[in-house]
Amino acid sequence: MSVSTMLRWSSAGILAIPCWAASLGGYVREEIPLPPGEVMEISSIALMPEDQVAVTTRRGDLWICDGAYGEDLSQVRWHRFARDLHEPLGMFWKEGSLWLTQRPELTRITDTDGDGEADRFETICADWGLTGNYHEYAFGSPPDREGNVWIALCLTGSFTSDAPWRGWCVRVTPEGEMIPTCSGLRSPGGIGFNREGDAFYTDNQGTWNGSSSLKWLRPGSFQGNPVGNSWHRLAGWPAPPEPKDPSRMVVERARFPDLVPPAVILPHGKVGQSPTAVVLDDTEGRFGPFAGQMLIGEQTHSQVQRVCLEKVGEWYQGAVFHFLEGFEAGIVPMRLAGDGSLFVGGTNRGWGSRGSKPFTFERVRWGGEVPFEMHHLSAIPEGFELTFTEPVDATSAGDPASYAMDAWTYVYQSEYGSPEVDAVAPTVRSVQVMEDGRTVRMVIDGRVRGHVHHLRADGVRSVTGEALVHPEAWYTLNEIPEG
Amino acid sequence: MRRWLPCWFGWWFLAAAGAQDGEQLFTLYCSACHGADGKGANEGAFPPLAGSRWVSGEPERAIQIVLHGIHGPIEVAGRHYELEMPPQGAMLADEPLAAILSYVRSSWGNAGSAVTPEAVAAQRAAGLDRAGPWTAEEILSRYPLPLEASVLRDLLSRSYEGDWSELPDFAKLTAANVEEEHDGWLKVESAPFEDHFAMEWEGRFEAPETGEYEFLLDADDAAELRLDGESVVAVTGLGPMDGSRSQTGKVHLDAGSHAFWVGYVEAEGQQGIALGWKVGEGGGYRWLTPVQASIREDRLPIVVGPEDGRAVIYRNFIDGTTPRAIGVGFPGGMNLAWSADHLAPELIWTGAFIDGAAKWVDRGTRPSPPAGENVVKLSAERFLPEEAKFRGYQLDAEGNPTFVATWGNQTLREGWQPGACRDGVPCLVRSLSLAGGSASLRVPLGEFAAIESDAVMARDAGRSVAELRPGLTLTFRYRLPH
Repeated sequence: MSVSTMLRWSSAGILAIPCWAASLGGYVREEIPLPPGEVMEISSIALMPEDQVAVTTRRGDLWICDGAYGEDLSQVRWHRFARDLHEPLGMFWKEGSLWLTQRPELTRITDTDGDGEADRFETICADWGLTGNYHEYAFGSPPDREGNVWIALCLTGSFTSDAPWRGWCVRVTPEGEMIPTCSGLRSPGGIGFNREGDAFYTDNQGTWNGSSSLKWLRPGSFQGNPVGNSWHRLAGWPAPPEPKDPSRMVVERARFPDLVPPAVILPHGKVGQSPTAVVLDDTEGRFGPFAGQMLIGEQTHSQVQRVCLEKVGEWYQGAVFHFLEGFEAGIVPMRLAGDGSLFVGGTNRGWGSRGSKPFTFERVRWGGEVPFEMHHLSAIPEGFELTFTEPVDATSAGDPASYAMDAWTYVYQSEYGSPEVDAVAPTVRSVQVMEDGRTVRMVIDGRVRGHVHHLRADGVRSVTGEALVHPEAWYTLNEIPEG
Repeated sequence: MRRWLPCWFGWWFLAAAGAQDGEQLFTLYCSACHGADGKGANEGAFPPLAGSRWVSGEPERAIQIVLHGIHGPIEVAGRHYELEMPPQGAMLADEPLAAILSYVRSSWGNAGSAVTPEAVAAQRAAGLDRAGPWTAEEILSRYPLPLEASVLRDLLSRSYEGDWSELPDFAKLTAANVEEEHDGWLKVESAPFEDHFAMEWEGRFEAPETGEYEFLLDADDAAELRLDGESVVAVTGLGPMDGSRSQTGKVHLDAGSHAFWVGYVEAEGQQGIALGWKVGEGGGYRWLTPVQASIREDRLPIVVGPEDGRAVIYRNFIDGTTPRAIGVGFPGGMNLAWSADHLAPELIWTGAFIDGAAKWVDRGTRPSPPAGENVVKLSAERFLPEEAKFRGYQLDAEGNPTFVATWGNQTLREGWQPGACRDGVPCLVRSLSLAGGSASLRVPLGEFAAIESDAVMARDAGRSVAELRPGLTLTFRYRLPH
């Protein structure tokens, strides 16, 4: 039997402690055995036909695993497909080949003679600048609906842009054409798509990022870090924005319409410290009740967070919730398979993590029981609408005293990070339980446009008397919907 | 300009949850790297704070590091790290920073004073001109590590003028200067010379307990430690004090006094000596010198090389070529680094291919040097047209690569494989074939003389050039130096 552990997460917030109560259902996490003696600091995961799963390591080896979907994970078999590639961070399978974003290029890797090892390495695109600085990472997405690969290019050393397109997102067409797409990136940790097919990436707290966040890569947009703006002229783009320093995102984006506010801020410390992979739950319920939402990897805290998104006006915004934790190392790549198996890879070399193993490969599946959670949080003209995964007890859920809210924002500045500033305490004036029995409409006074709104719902109980597994949500209110 | 209201509601909230507590804040913000026990997470892969002189003594050093971060090489408790600590000053206010630092300075056996929010505020104001993180060298020049009480007693230093490359027979020399070192520290500054001198120190080493003692010695240039007349550890010959020559030695000592002697030689240039000791398992070194030595980790090599008689490709930053380097290790100890930036071979060398240990530690900040010998630079520039693009490579059954570049309607294939020269000596064989178009290509062969080819080679501005016509293949045999 493989080692399996029931995941059921406490909500202590800062020091969440896994709780092993299987009766609450939830999710099952299992470690997938790795090839003995190999250093498997996993950096990419690709799903392949015939239930194979490919992974790359930070050292550049590419392995294929058989049996990763099996009930008995002790039976997995590994074989090495290629080795010593250049710090790959993003891989997918398409039409008989693995497409790999490695540091210097996008490569199509094929085994043409069928001996189980790759022999053809076609360079699809190597048009972005590279100085030799270790921090110039390249994170590649799966293909979008046109077959383009989106590649998020970290700044040089995460502070400067010493070669073209550092601090940009580019798209690469299947024919290898590189299209500069967004400027203003700092230090990405992962890239993916939402249900609508729009691209999102995680960017890490640091210069011009008061907190880490999930950002929308709207083509033509500026993501906020002006260090890479010298390449606007290469792109033939108009003069780039030069934000005031220090300022506020809400102030600067009034001046620069192309400055995209973070869709969901992941408050530094409270939610995580190093967000990574971006994965859509497109399994239509096979991974639990959160179909259509996004999952975010968290390297430092060894967690997976959950994000709901909505568009208000032309901007995305939404909330982040704590979701899964206790992984064995710092999470970097994730892939969610159609059967609801979430594959998670991790490493903590050079970047510490709560999970104390040097590297890990894990699988999470939903156990079939619906946990009592906030399902999603939506902004409405007079407050928020909050939907739970299960019917609620009308008394507790209808009582404003069951909820608490505080809100703040961050300084938008060239300094590294930001304190939480401009804090306010919006008040929950009234709560109405809606007809579906799972949704509450909260009328809230004192919301602030642009702020992170932190909601606690500790007092709410389900109809069966359960408290929420995670009673907190953090909603980034870029826009307040008009009535 | 808009005024910012210092409205610390977030901290009010955390305080309500009891989180202003230094231990909780440390756990949240610091423990992923430094470890909840302060010993450095992942069995010491990150620097420890427990017992670290970096956080003891006056608090300014630690406050500055937390405010501005620190990056690059750093020695902590005798170990070398290359990591990046991000600045926290723009994120955390004075109160939580003070709470974290007070916790660190009073936990795990540390016995530093508490840090007040006012002290943090003062250091914040003092560092306003600072852009970017500290380096270890920078911060130590401003805030040196605190000295511990030395366990040396009755210490005398004697200095001798002369030109030595190893320790002289001190008994035959006449001291130019003698000092009583009441502080118990070995200091080369006690010698009245800059270059060309020797020193010896004599005194008593007061061993606090009975046990196995380990001494760490580094010097610029040579030095030796003797206890009770027996040599314990020595650094020989001339060279820098950068950890590359540091040595450790072990000796069993009973608690109490032991005759202590250190000899030292400085030839010219930089000078210095560092001597540390510890007793029992684990823990950092304590020091008998104001400066610390480090052990350049004896990292086990991570050997990358041919397997099962097949060539191996290694893609990474390789010293001496461009960022898009492609290393190829062939069987028989012949190696190539080909540049996908310049679309040309850049380095060849013999012996071992690549040691991944330079790259695959910590964050991997350093490029991989060729691990073997006789590194020859073949070229450092592009000879194909500006619009030529790298299209990848194909491996044959032996793992030998053929690199492909295209421009316009032309394709250049460049294969490399092991072979033999006319006299049978092993060599690397480079095959170039051009397809498409009508223009021929001039292939510069650089200054490398030991090339055999049937191609017509011309001299162009003093350099060998071969002409490659479409539809043809040229072969060049590179005889590697031995």
